Amino acid sequence: MTGDVTGARLVVGPFNRVEGDLEVTLDVAGGRVARAQVNAPLYRGFERMLEGRDPRDALVITPRICGICSISQSTAAAHALAAAMGLTPTPQGALAAALIHAAENVADHLTHFHLFFMPDFARPAYAGRPWHARAVARFIALEGGAQRAAVQARAELLHAMGLMAGKWPHTLGIQPGGVTRAPGPREKARLAATLRAFRRYLETVLFGGRLEDFCALKDVAALMRWPSGDVALFLGIAADLGLAGLGRGAGRYLSFGAYPLADGPAFAAGTRSAGAPGPVRPAEIAEDLSHAWMLGGTAHPLDGMTTPDEGMAAPAYSWCKAPRLAGQPMEVGALARQVVDGHPLALALAEEGGVVARVGGRLLELARTQILMEAWVAALAPGESFMAQCSLPRDGQGAGMVEAARGALGHWLRIRNGKIANYQIIAQTTWNFSPRDAADVPGPLEAALEGTQVEGPVPLAVQHVVRSFDPGMVCTVH
Amino acid sequence: MSQIETFYEVMRRQGITRRSFLKYCSLTASALGLGPSFVPQIAHAMETKPRTPVIWVNGLECTCCSESFIRGAHPLARDVVLSMISLDYCHVLMAAAGHAAEAAMEEAMEQHHGNYILAVEGNPPLNEDRMFCIVGGKPFVEQLRRAAEGAKAIIAWGACASYGCVQAAKRNPTQATPVHKVITDKPIIKIPGCPPIAEVMTGVITYMLTVDRLPELDRQGRPAMFYGQRIHDKCYRRPHFDAGQFVEAWDDDNARKGYCLYKMGCKGPTTYNACSTIGWNEGVSFPIQSGHGCIGCSEDGFWDQGSFYNRLTNIKQFGVEANADQVGMAAAGVVSGAVAVHAAISALKRAQKKTQDKVEG
Repeated sequence: MTGDVTGARLVVGPFNRVEGDLEVTLDVAGGRVARAQVNAPLYRGFERMLEGRDPRDALVITPRICGICSISQSTAAAHALAAAMGLTPTPQGALAAALIHAAENVADHLTHFHLFFMPDFARPAYAGRPWHARAVARFIALEGGAQRAAVQARAELLHAMGLMAGKWPHTLGIQPGGVTRAPGPREKARLAATLRAFRRYLETVLFGGRLEDFCALKDVAALMRWPSGDVALFLGIAADLGLAGLGRGAGRYLSFGAYPLADGPAFAAGTRSAGAPGPVRPAEIAEDLSHAWMLGGTAHPLDGMTTPDEGMAAPAYSWCKAPRLAGQPMEVGALARQVVDGHPLALALAEEGGVVARVGGRLLELARTQILMEAWVAALAPGESFMAQCSLPRDGQGAGMVEAARGALGHWLRIRNGKIANYQIIAQTTWNFSPRDAADVPGPLEAALEGTQVEGPVPLAVQHVVRSFDPGMVCTVH
Repeated sequence: MSQIETFYEVMRRQGITRRSFLKYCSLTASALGLGPSFVPQIAHAMETKPRTPVIWVNGLECTCCSESFIRGAHPLARDVVLSMISLDYCHVLMAAAGHAAEAAMEEAMEQHHGNYILAVEGNPPLNEDRMFCIVGGKPFVEQLRRAAEGAKAIIAWGACASYGCVQAAKRNPTQATPVHKVITDKPIIKIPGCPPIAEVMTGVITYMLTVDRLPELDRQGRPAMFYGQRIHDKCYRRPHFDAGQFVEAWDDDNARKGYCLYKMGCKGPTTYNACSTIGWNEGVSFPIQSGHGCIGCSEDGFWDQGSFYNRLTNIKQFGVEANADQVGMAAAGVVSGAVAVHAAISALKRAQKKTQDKVEG
């Protein structure tokens, strides 16, 4: 297939180096994507399995939706249960849970940059570019110096997870009232040491400069001048290939607010559409099933159903439902979170809204979260209560709305007679990789792909756009 | 490439020094429970034998096995094993994408026919005409069958591939089916756990690559070297169990004292795995150390045994210090007879219990 084919259809996938399976169907006209359809080809039926179980089992079952964001799932389940109980975690419990959750999100950002996103620039197709040799040395799959360093740094960061949560992936340490492990002075000291080592890695290898300096960047021009580390390599490549204008989104961002502490979330909750901030109204969330192989109508997740359509009837083309906020598709993720939180660099990046904005937003969040985690460890108070107690109601309902690395994640739970009567999940990539809705409005990735140049059987520009979202496909349909 | 490289050549090419190589050999020997005399044997095998190709495929799963694996054991072991397997096909980690990736897998299967190890993460769903998990436009089960054809042996990574795991939980909407029910004509080594411990994964794969035979398996097909003992046998909270000291509620005084989590639903007494000896995240900790009980994720059907927070009622052995109240409580739930006999079992007898002994209905 070549770029000048008109009216051709191209199926891209399976994608490797993403978590889970993904297929993208592109209608190509004039060498550019005219219409994109994103298909999540994996369905497991978690929501169905949860029905009739002890509500607490959600803490064990839902993390296993995804091995990369299992803490986020467990946090959402804990929040949904806490809401049903009317329980607020103790301040120290919330702090410890935030620390565990943040460590996972940071590890995810690191993985995405090194293992999933950057290796594409080491491909032979870019051999003529001045930066190619360096990209190969740093990022070729499994052998690149930066890749090895990142895998090592991540493993060491996750010692924090061992200390606080027993094991990763799939911890059970986070409960509705807080955490099961009350850290003592010894753990506190080890956590601080782990974070110091991780900062050293970030400042010498990835950023090549002080995190505070990176967080102080205020506009895109200043970002593009960042001089050092693998970040500078990426920015140089981005400038050369014009990645800033590639894969532009619709400029509608959503964040449920990350890391709820005693005095509010560390990164604010809200929306931003066409440059204007707004609140999140959970009642305005609905899942449209018109293009999903699912039976039923558009519904709020508390009333939603997950009944697969065995006939896989058209016009549906994905197992993924189409979540909408007040009828609109929303982009979620690190960029969205930083935009909603009002960071000046993120707001400037949102003006572009393309590949550089998404990757830049993730790097910004990585730096900011490290600084937050250090403060949280310092605030740990061994000896205080890390868990509030409460029992489950026989009947009730609750929502757990959290921020996973890849964006807004919600669990909606209904309890009847002490058992789960309904459990619905809208995962982060469900928002980003949603199919069309009844009004034929495409999901964020589908929209971002339109207009992308297509050359060759594995169009690299398409790869960059898809990967800039950091697909987490096993979450998408669960 | 007509001549397949040796492991040693691969490792040197990856920039691993000879000194590190020898360190790796002794590390492997001790991880596998072999004496120092086996170190030269492992080194010799790795220097002279062509590497065993590994093809890694993913079905219905959550990628937690890959995650556990790349977070790996000793950094050296991880590097070595990763460099060995990266040469062939691995969905999550390889550089190629799309049809190039599929072609790479076809080529590896053809070139190494009858000689490669097939590592399976996840399982095939058989419902809905098997369309719940599609790889390269075809149901995963077809990829699995095809890849199994030329495989020398199959490793079933994790609870998904070994038993079905949570996606096979009651109602099993997709009819998620473990590998051994689909592939019946190849030796299958089960490495259950959700996920399995990274060190167990690297240990098993190294053993097979270097010694060139399957590890000794238990009745369920798990390598005995890692699944021969219960979490309970080596749990650091075991003395509290024996002394009848239990956590009664999350974060109570007993929890802070590190008492036994049995009453909070810990499944350590019926779970065979190496968590309490090897530990997680490079040996830092394991679930019980975080103050939460074991959920038994390396046991068949762990996802459908009632609530994860229900107390075990089928443990046969009690510490001599256990009081009558606890013994009575446990006995009440046991359906089979001879409870009293078991309840009075001696410490000596307990020490002999090293292999699986489940209560049968």
